[in-house]
Amino acid sequence: MLELAGLDKRFGAKVVLDNLSLTVQPGQMFGFVGTNGAGKTTTMRIALGVLAADRGEIRWRGAPVDRKVRRRWGYMPEERGLYPKMRIRDQLVYLAELHGMSRTEAQASAAHWLTRLRVTGAPGDRLETLSLGNQQRVQLAAALVHEPELLVLDEPFSGLDPVGVDVMAGVLRERTAAGASVVFSSHQLELVESLCDAVGIINGGRMHASGTVAELRGDDRAVRYRVRVAGAPAGWADALPGVRVLGPAEEDAVLVELLPGTSEQALLDAGRAAGRVLAFAPAAPSLAELFREVVNGEGTDAEAGEPPVAKPRAGEPAGSDPAAGRESEVGA
Amino acid sequence: MSTGGSTFWSAVRLVARREFTERIRDRGFQISVGVMLVILLASVAIPAALGGGSDKYDVAFLGPQQTQLAQTAERQAALLDVDVRVGTVADRAAAEKALADGGLDAVVDNGRILVDTKLSDPLAAVLQSAWATVERDLRLSARGIDPGAVNEASAIRPMPKTTLDPDADQRDTRKGIAFVGTLVLYGMLMVFCMWVASGVVEEKSSRIVEILLATVPARALLTGKVLGIGLLGLLQMLVTAVVGLAAASALGSVELTGAMIYPVALVLLWFVVGYALYACMFAAAAARVSRQEDLQNVITPMTSLLIGSFLAAVFLGQKGGTIAHVLAYVPPFSAMLQPAMTAADEVSVVENLVAFALALLALVGLVRLAARMYEGAVLRMGGKVGFKEALGAARKR
Repeated sequence: MLELAGLDKRFGAKVVLDNLSLTVQPGQMFGFVGTNGAGKTTTMRIALGVLAADRGEIRWRGAPVDRKVRRRWGYMPEERGLYPKMRIRDQLVYLAELHGMSRTEAQASAAHWLTRLRVTGAPGDRLETLSLGNQQRVQLAAALVHEPELLVLDEPFSGLDPVGVDVMAGVLRERTAAGASVVFSSHQLELVESLCDAVGIINGGRMHASGTVAELRGDDRAVRYRVRVAGAPAGWADALPGVRVLGPAEEDAVLVELLPGTSEQALLDAGRAAGRVLAFAPAAPSLAELFREVVNGEGTDAEAGEPPVAKPRAGEPAGSDPAAGRESEVGA
Repeated sequence: MSTGGSTFWSAVRLVARREFTERIRDRGFQISVGVMLVILLASVAIPAALGGGSDKYDVAFLGPQQTQLAQTAERQAALLDVDVRVGTVADRAAAEKALADGGLDAVVDNGRILVDTKLSDPLAAVLQSAWATVERDLRLSARGIDPGAVNEASAIRPMPKTTLDPDADQRDTRKGIAFVGTLVLYGMLMVFCMWVASGVVEEKSSRIVEILLATVPARALLTGKVLGIGLLGLLQMLVTAVVGLAAASALGSVELTGAMIYPVALVLLWFVVGYALYACMFAAAAARVSRQEDLQNVITPMTSLLIGSFLAAVFLGQKGGTIAHVLAYVPPFSAMLQPAMTAADEVSVVENLVAFALALLALVGLVRLAARMYEGAVLRMGGKVGFKEALGAARKR
């Protein structure tokens, strides 16, 4: 388990991190989202020991981290970076050895990852002779080659083609399934939502929300439904008790909010009474919507605009309900 | 830091090994080593080949007294211990052709010495005294005096000489070695320190430094880089020294004695110290910039220092003088001046040791300063990092 507790960092007069904390469970995939300059990269650099925090603590499995612990972590910085003129296999072997692997282990692992990530090009090729997509695969291999217990990836999906995204996502899932923790930042919120067990939304150097996407939505948040009823008169849902109509969603569909205590079955019954129900689905706010709320809330009223900060409960692996955020079509 | 020591040095070893193997496999490096050895062999072989020709002289005589002149010249040559061989030419035209071809070194024609470009001193002495003797005999005979009796009376052996300095004949050779040594030392320091500098910038510009520093302490990265490149430099210096001395001794221009090997050993020793001093400075300066294009800008003070100490070694070191003797103690000038001045007998072994101790002392301080600057600057991307900024950033870490 990775814990960052109360990190502060200033660059001159500029506050980059302000009492930032986050927790990543073993086997968890943690997505880190925020606008540019929110402090994601700085947080990752501090976690990796590349930068020093002004204040705060970094713990791994409950103990403060040192270089020996960090040798078992893998890092892919946003700027990427490998030796352009070095042969790709030698490069991976070198990095694996720096992370504490023996030469034989390192060679086997380098060969494995070059194959696994389908890097086209001979192991003896220099990095600069490879295509950009292949260079990125080597870059990922460089973060993975020593079989790290924790992977920290800064914008790993940026610049990847759809196939590259799938390969990357597959590898990350494989690592968490093997018990490793993965932290990555991304601007592709749909991707984060579909991949991650837990998400942290950072803005202005502060962690505004972190937890599973379901937790971020909040338990006390009113539940929204999108209901599509064919042949129903307009405004069929307007007078229903405990239901607030938010507006027409699209052609013959309405978006409604159920006030606490209202059963969604009552809504469904009312819909069936009004016409033929074609679609009935919970319309949970997407991560993108939550993110916008956080970022916009910051601009208006910092206190009121903040969604409740949910922390994963101890002992319970977060993200046990990965389907929670998805909308499903019924009927039709 | 209880277990940090072993990880530090294992990281240093890995970094050093990468630097060493990557560079020894570099085509450019292999070519430069080859070129250097060719130049070295040529500089040893060419003087030997030329020198071999100038010890023996081929002469010919024309004109009325040619037989007497030839005999007298051979006698004089034997007395003065000069190797002169007398040949024949048909006429003036043939003589000029033979001189131009190099078949003859000089031709005496009717009281005039003909040479192609210049007349060497030993040959001039032989020819002039032969001429004087033959002319004198003619004049004596003209006055009715028997030249034979005069010749007998004037057949005096030249004075033998005693050289007080036992190493005298080695001194010039040692100066030669010192000059070549200084030249090689300068070239190698420049090349290998530039490698350290461009290696530092390469890691910054390719951003791999961030991945490396997530695993390895900045000091281990710096130490490994300096050691790896330095070992390669030392290896090249050793090869150069062994090949150079072996070739020179095989061609007979150097006798391999302690007095000859000492200056070479000094060059090697001072390469190690000088490299360590300069490499630290080059690395610390290079860490301030993120692009190869900006490297020249920050490295100029160091390259100027290196060039300055090379010029001091060549122009001041061999002659001695107060400035040279002071600079010989000042690191990093001492690195270049000590071998040159030792070979020129300007400094003693004690002075070598004092200068060496001073250089090591300076090195201890410089390594710390360079490591701190490197740590403070190596992760700062973009523009040039100021000295104060780099040192200040390091203090906070």
